[in-house]
Amino acid sequence: MQAAEEGESTRGFHFPPINTLLRWKDITPGINKVVLISIAAALIGTVLFLIAANRDHKTAPKGARNLAEIAVEFIEKNIIMETMGRSGLGWTPFLLTMFIFIYICNVPGIIPFIQMPATARMGIPAFMALLVWVVYNATGIKNQGPIGYFKNVLFPPGVPKALYILVTPIEFISTLVVRPFSLAVRLFANMLAGHLLLVIFALLSEALIQAETQRIFLIPIGVLPFGVLMFLTAFEILVAFLQAYIFTTLTAVYLGMATHPEH
Amino acid sequence: MEALTRIARAGIRVAELTAAEEKANSAAQMAGLAYGLAAIGPGVGIGIIFGKAIESMARQPESAGMVRTTMFLGVAFTEALALIGFVAFILLKFA
Amino acid sequence: MRVLVTTQQGQLLEVRVNADDAAGTEATATESETASAPNPIAPEGKELIWGAGSFLVFLVIMRVYLFPKLKKGMDARYTGIREDFEQADATRQAAQSDVAKYEAALADVRAEAAGRIDAARQTVDAERNAKIAEANSKIAAKRAAADAELAAARAKVRDQVAEAVSTVTARTTQLAVGKSPDGSVVREAVQQVMQSGAR
Repeated sequence: MQAAEEGESTRGFHFPPINTLLRWKDITPGINKVVLISIAAALIGTVLFLIAANRDHKTAPKGARNLAEIAVEFIEKNIIMETMGRSGLGWTPFLLTMFIFIYICNVPGIIPFIQMPATARMGIPAFMALLVWVVYNATGIKNQGPIGYFKNVLFPPGVPKALYILVTPIEFISTLVVRPFSLAVRLFANMLAGHLLLVIFALLSEALIQAETQRIFLIPIGVLPFGVLMFLTAFEILVAFLQAYIFTTLTAVYLGMATHPEH
Repeated sequence: MEALTRIARAGIRVAELTAAEEKANSAAQMAGLAYGLAAIGPGVGIGIIFGKAIESMARQPESAGMVRTTMFLGVAFTEALALIGFVAFILLKFA
Repeated sequence: MRVLVTTQQGQLLEVRVNADDAAGTEATATESETASAPNPIAPEGKELIWGAGSFLVFLVIMRVYLFPKLKKGMDARYTGIREDFEQADATRQAAQSDVAKYEAALADVRAEAAGRIDAARQTVDAERNAKIAEANSKIAAKRAAADAELAAARAKVRDQVAEAVSTVTARTTQLAVGKSPDGSVVREAVQQVMQSGAR
């Protein structure tokens, strides 16, 4: 315990305690950096779509409107049509909001001077996963009735009756427990791992380039972790997008399963 | 004299680590190994998923969009195992 | 204040220094505010609440106002584009039917022209055939007349030759024999020789 709080030290390279990397002091009571990022994400999304919606819609889209329309079409074509089909198009605003919010919460991880993905804290992923859990269960109950829905979930049709002893507990756990848990953990752990990787390589480069002894050797070597840092930053842009995409796609898959049970 | 009493009052206490702290230390050392083990299976799995996806895209380029979506879903499910290992690592090491 | 000391044997020793230094305690306090967290994975109340609140507000604004407006604009533009396409299609079809009509008319005219040309050609052919036949018959008549004249001329010449030969033969025979042969016999013999002899 003590060692963790004081930080790790290997031959002069000090890794700070993890909570100083992740927990931020309150700027004003109850508001810290992560809170600010999540508010900013909602605000940026709102402003973007406000500008987009108020542009002249008759001419070819440009700027904010173009961006917003690309996002809408991406959600419709690449997420909903691929997973739920035409009947799922009513979910576009929900999935679009979710995608944009998660993406804008992810991206600060690589923006200089902010460098903290809001989703690297458990709060937002946990809430989103819980919301998805509530929404897909409610959709299932609304579409198939409470009895029909739980019958379809717990006793999937087409399974021999004797196997229900095995299948029912597995289905119960996988649908009602593992889905929201893995949804939250996937987003959170991906962003946390990316953030820690960036921190480690940034600290390593700093330690090597500002070395006090054997500077002739250590400073050129410091270029290597810096190059890796640059590569990882580019990689994190991809990861930020991919995690938002996967979260939204899985939500769409779960919603599709709740709307139309497998036959 | 004043200084000496201050030192005495400061009460320098040298103590060995308690049993709980020793356990925490060994847990922290095992955490790295645990994460390494957790990454083996998903690593192989993601490799297989991507390889097969590329194969099927090369065979049928017209179905590349569908294959890509399914591939990302498969990667997401496989990757979750490695990420649970990562969370276990954080829990062992820092909690 | 707590310090960790590693001894030569690698044993971890904990050293506690209780200093009543005001600055030191304050530093420890601010440090512990960020560093002594319960757990890096546990969700933090304020982050969860603010994140949830901002997302829900964003969702409601999008759902109620922004998305329908944007979508309406997109749909309006797409319908406009589709209408433009349909109009273009209609125009093109009209143009195509015009072209078809024109081509049909053209084909009619062409057929008529071809008929007229055929008729004219048939007339011309008939006339020509008649003229050729007339010319042929004239030529045949002329040739027949010429043949007849030739044959008559040839017979006349032969008769004259036979007459001359008979005279010469009769004279020769009279000179050789001393007697004048019968003219009809000589003429007959000459005729025979001339008709059977090689040309």
